[in-house]
Formats: sequence, structure tokens, C-alpha cells
Amino acid sequence: MKKNKHKTNFDNKLSEFDETKYKAIFKKQFTRLLFTYLLPLIFLAVFFHFEYRNIISESEKLHLKSIAVSQAQMLDLFLRERIVNLINLADNPQIEIPPSSKTFESYLLKLKRDSDAFIDLGYFDSIGIQKAYIGPLPTLLNKDYSKEKWFKTLKENDKRYVITDIYLGFRNRPHFTIAVKRQIDRYFVIFRATLDPEKIYKYVQSVLTSKDVITAIINIDGYFQLAHQKLGNLLEKSPFFPPKTNQPGISIASLQRQNTDFGYCWLTQNEWCVVAIKEKWGETFLSNFETKSITASLIVVAILVVVITYRSKKIVESEKEKELAEREKNIAKLQLEHASKLATVGELASGIAHEINNPLAIIASEAGLIKDLLDPQFDQNVNFEELIPHLNNIQTSAFRARDITRKLMSFVRREEYKLDFHNVNDILEELIQGFIENDLYVSNIKLIKNFSQDLPKTFTDANSLKQVILNLISNARDAITPPGTIFISTQQISNEIHISIKDTGCGISQEQMSKIFMPFFTTKEVGKGTELGLSVSYNIIRNLGGRIEVESLVGFGSTFTIVLPITNTTK
Amino acid sequence: MENKIKLLIVDDEVQFLESIAKRLELRGFEVITASNGQAALDFARKEKFDIAIVDLKMPGIDGTQVLGTLKNEHKYIEVIILTGHGSLESAVECTKLGAFDYLPKPYELDDLILKLEAAYKARLEKKFKDNEEKMKKLTSLATGLSPIAILRELRKLDNEEK
Repeated sequence: MKKNKHKTNFDNKLSEFDETKYKAIFKKQFTRLLFTYLLPLIFLAVFFHFEYRNIISESEKLHLKSIAVSQAQMLDLFLRERIVNLINLADNPQIEIPPSSKTFESYLLKLKRDSDAFIDLGYFDSIGIQKAYIGPLPTLLNKDYSKEKWFKTLKENDKRYVITDIYLGFRNRPHFTIAVKRQIDRYFVIFRATLDPEKIYKYVQSVLTSKDVITAIINIDGYFQLAHQKLGNLLEKSPFFPPKTNQPGISIASLQRQNTDFGYCWLTQNEWCVVAIKEKWGETFLSNFETKSITASLIVVAILVVVITYRSKKIVESEKEKELAEREKNIAKLQLEHASKLATVGELASGIAHEINNPLAIIASEAGLIKDLLDPQFDQNVNFEELIPHLNNIQTSAFRARDITRKLMSFVRREEYKLDFHNVNDILEELIQGFIENDLYVSNIKLIKNFSQDLPKTFTDANSLKQVILNLISNARDAITPPGTIFISTQQISNEIHISIKDTGCGISQEQMSKIFMPFFTTKEVGKGTELGLSVSYNIIRNLGGRIEVESLVGFGSTFTIVLPITNTTK
Repeated sequence: MENKIKLLIVDDEVQFLESIAKRLELRGFEVITASNGQAALDFARKEKFDIAIVDLKMPGIDGTQVLGTLKNEHKYIEVIILTGHGSLESAVECTKLGAFDYLPKPYELDDLILKLEAAYKARLEKKFKDNEEKMKKLTSLATGLSPIAILRELRKLDNEEK
């Protein structure tokens, strides 16, 4: 039951806690931990994320470029082969000029054997008329091509061959042509073959190793020649504008309002450019990885926040426990102090009993005497005036007893710490007159006071100080085998007040000296001392900001000095 | 010689001395008061007292010293301790030193008188016993001693009692 009571007491105490203070502590701890743990983590995460992204993006670019290069080389090789096929045909010395339609068909078949991209074959004279044709569109025979760009180029320049861009032409189907010029003495003839871009594209695509990358071929004006269906249609204006350089490179295009990197490489055979772009442009390869890592980070952050919250709560809890323990300690300390105060009084009790019993004895005696005087048996015949001195004696004795009890009560009463300005001399004087003077007088102990008259007032608790002084004087008294002397002096030394209580008692040995301030140490006979006095006195004086100094010589006596700081501010 | 019991009261409280003395006088005691130990011892050396009432706590020579000295110097005096400093230890100590009784202050006069009577009786008995022994001794001595020798012995015995 006692325990329960204790517990409820505790709970009450807990509810007294200043919650806002603990909320503030919690907040502080929480942010502190957050800053120490989470912030660097986030910082690092962001840093590495960007670093990684950068690296990935760089390697992505290189990847795109290398694909563009490989495709361009592929295409170059392909075109070169087709040109060589055609040149071989044109330069064949056995070929008939002009060729007959029958032999011409075998030429086409021969070409088709080399590559199935070949669609048809034509023969043109120097004027630009298609004199022979074999292929799916026989209507093209005898058509005049003299205005065509490729014809003009071959006619006017010293070039062996021309590869055209892809165009729809007369047949209205995307195709491109390779034309080869053969110089025969003063005039020339031209062999021209049409090729199917689809075939080429398929061929090129077949060597594309990366699934995520799509490619397109554009001409110098930026029109699609061949393109993945996602990018656009043939002969449409493309969004790619690769710079015309010999070196392959990386550039940026805007696709569907998204800036995206693409790799490019110009062909050597033709003014075509291969561009390579990620199939899902605008996204990084990372996207999947990123969502994963973000989720993971969030989980980590959430766990950290939970841990930090838990830690902060723990800290607040331990703070609370600390305060509770501190309060308990204070309560225990107060109780101890009060117990020791009572004990000090107990020690004085015999002296005090004497002080009270004496006036009581006078009262009883005087009262008895008056009764006797009035008793007819004794036949004293007193008049009332003769009784007055006896009545006065009774009165003064009663007041004497009352004064003692009053002083005792004022001392024993559990009073709160009450700091105020006090003159230490006054406190001593009051104490000496109240408790000590008479007790020492009848114990044959001389009391010699030597108070510094210009002692400044100090801010202190009179009650605590009284208790300590009383304890020290009581110890001094007990150390003396009468007759002896107790010297009490006050003195100001720099900014401190020294209250010395010196006795001519038995002194304290070296061995005892180390223990005297420990609780439950006593040199007194069992049952005589309280065993608490000095340890409590020491704590009280320390709480008042001072200290107790001891000097002692065995056989000559001891001097206890209370040193108090002079405090003239209320703090 | 009147047959009043002669008391010596020692106490440092003068008012107390006066009142207790008067009351005891009214009851037929002969009372001499002393307000300190030294004065009490001086009185006791001058006059013969039956009983001393002694306070314990006194400045100068205190009660226990007075008790010890009185018992030492005077064979038949009985001492009653009357003190406000009432503790068991002091009572035991005083009894060891030869106090007849111990009475705490404030006292009941009737108690005190009972104790005084008891003390006086004890004193008389002791004296009587001693006298008897003296008589025996004397009678044994008387056979074969000269009258002068008997007188010398008697004075010796008388001197023992003071």
C-alpha cells in the first residue's frame, strides 16, 4: 500500500511537468538528429544521383554515337559495293553499247544476284534519254532525264558516279538511284540502277545491336531518307540538324517538344547522315532504376525518421526521468535536512529540558508556597501585597518557559528556503541567546564572542545557517570535557564571511578527519549523536554557496569555519 | 538541641531556592540555601546537615561534584538530587556516586517530603547501626582498658562522625 501511495505521488509529480518545455526539447533533439543523420545522407544521395546520371548520360551519348558510326560505315560499305557492282557492269568491255533489251535483262539479274536492293536498270545516252530499261516500270523507256539533277551532275562534272537522295520520281514510290558514267571516246553513256531503300533499311537495321536505339537517315537538307516509323515518314522534314562535319558527334534535337541527345555520323559516299536516338527519348535508361532507388531512399528516410523520432522520445523520457530523480533527490534532501534539524534539537533536548523545567519548577514551587501561605494550617496571616512578588515570579517564569518553547518551535518548524539580507552577527546573537548561552553556562563552558562589527549583510537563508551553527556549537560542546571554552568569531576576508567556531575539546584525528563530512559518521557515544549533522551541514552550506573548513589538533581542539560568500544581489 | 531535620539546598535558581526553603520551613525543616556548589560545600564544612538537596546543572562546581564531595567529606549526610536536567543516565550516575534519591523538576512537594523522610530514616538507621557497632567495639575494648584509653578511643570514634 505504501508503494502504491508512492506511485500515485509520482504520477502527480509527472503531471506537474512542464509539457511545453519537453515539447521544445523533443523538437530540438529531433531536428538535431535529423540534421546530423538525414541531411548528410540526402546530400550524398543527391550528389551520387547526379554523378551517376551524368556518367550514364555520357555513356548513353557515346553509345548513340557509336551506333550512328557503325550504321554509317555499314551504309557506306553497302553503297560502295552497289557502286562497284554498277561500275563493273558499265566498264565491262563485252557490254553492248547501246545494249539490247535481251542482254540488259541478264545484267539486271546479275546485279540482283549481288544485292536484292536493286530494282531496275537503265541505260542513258549522252543526251539523257533512257535508251534501255529493264525493271517493273517499262513506261520509263525513252523518257528524257536530261533535266534531272543527277544527269546534269554527271554531265557537267568529272564524276564517275552519283547517288541520289531518295525521291518519289515518276513512279511515285520512294527509291534512290545510283548512276555510273562510262566515257567512250568523246561521248559518254550512263548506267543507272534504282534501289529499294526499304531493303537497305532492313539490312542496316539487321545489324543494329541495341534494342533501345532507333536510327534514321537524313539528307543534307534534313529530310528523312530512311527512318524508323516512330521518328517520321520518308521525305518529311526531320527535327535533326546534325552539323556537317567529318567527325561523328552528339547533338541535341527537339522531338515532340523534348530536347534529346542524338548521335550522328555523315556518310562518305553520299551526303547522307545517320542519326541514332533512344527509342524512348526524353527518358534515361535509368528511369526504372531511378524509381526503385527513390522508393528505397524513401523507405530508408522513413525508417530514419521513425528511428529519430524514437530516439528523440527516448531522450525526452530520460530527461524527464532525470528531472524526476532530481526532484526525488531534492525531496529526500529536504527530508534529511529536516530530520537532522530535529536531531540537532534532540541533542539539545536535555539542555532545553533543563531550561524549561527550571522555570516550571519555580512556578510549581511558588504556587505551592502561595498555597501554603494562604493555608490556615500554617497560620501565616499574609496580606495580599506579600504574595505579589511570588506571583510575579510565577509570571516571569512562565514567560521564560514560553520564550524557550517559542524559539525552539521557530527553529524546528519546517520552513521553506527563505533568502533574505541578513547580518550574520544578528543571527549568531539570536541563536546564542536563545539556545546556547545558558546551556554552556551551566555546562561550565565559557563562550567567547569576537564579532567583526562592520560585517556586511549577505543574502542567505537564516534558518539553514542557524541549523548549521547550532550543529557546530553542539559538536564543540560535546567535544569539550568541562571546563572548556568555545570561541565564536566572525570576520570578513575579501569577499567572504568567515564564521569560526573554535573549541578546546578533544580534537579530531587525521583518520577521523577524512570521514567527518560523511553521513552516519560520529565520534559520539552510541545514541548520543545523530550521525547526520556534519554531512547535512556541509550540504546546506554548499547550497548557500559557501563551504566549511576544519582545522584540528588532537588534544587541543578543533576550529570549524563556515565560509559564506557575500552576496548583495538578489540574482 | 531541637530535633528538626536540617537541610542544605543547593540550586542556582534563587527564586526557586527561596520558595522551596520557605515551604519546607513551614513543614518543620531547618533549611539553609546555597546558590552555588562552592557555597554549599563551605556551609557543609561549617555545620552538620542531615540531608542535602542538590541541583545538577550549575555554573562552577556542578551537582555531581557537590554530591561526590559531600558524600566523601561527611559520612552520614544523605543527598537527594533535584534537577530539571532529567535523564536516566544522570540518575544512574548520581546513584553510583551515592545519591539517596533522584527527583526531577518540577517536583511534588509531597514526594520530596516522603523522600526526605526516607532519607532521614536511612541516615538514622545507618547511624544507629554504626553506633551499635561502636558500642560493641567499646564494650569489647572496655574490658581491660584504662579509663584514659577508653576516653581516647571514644574521641577517635566521635571524630569519625562529621
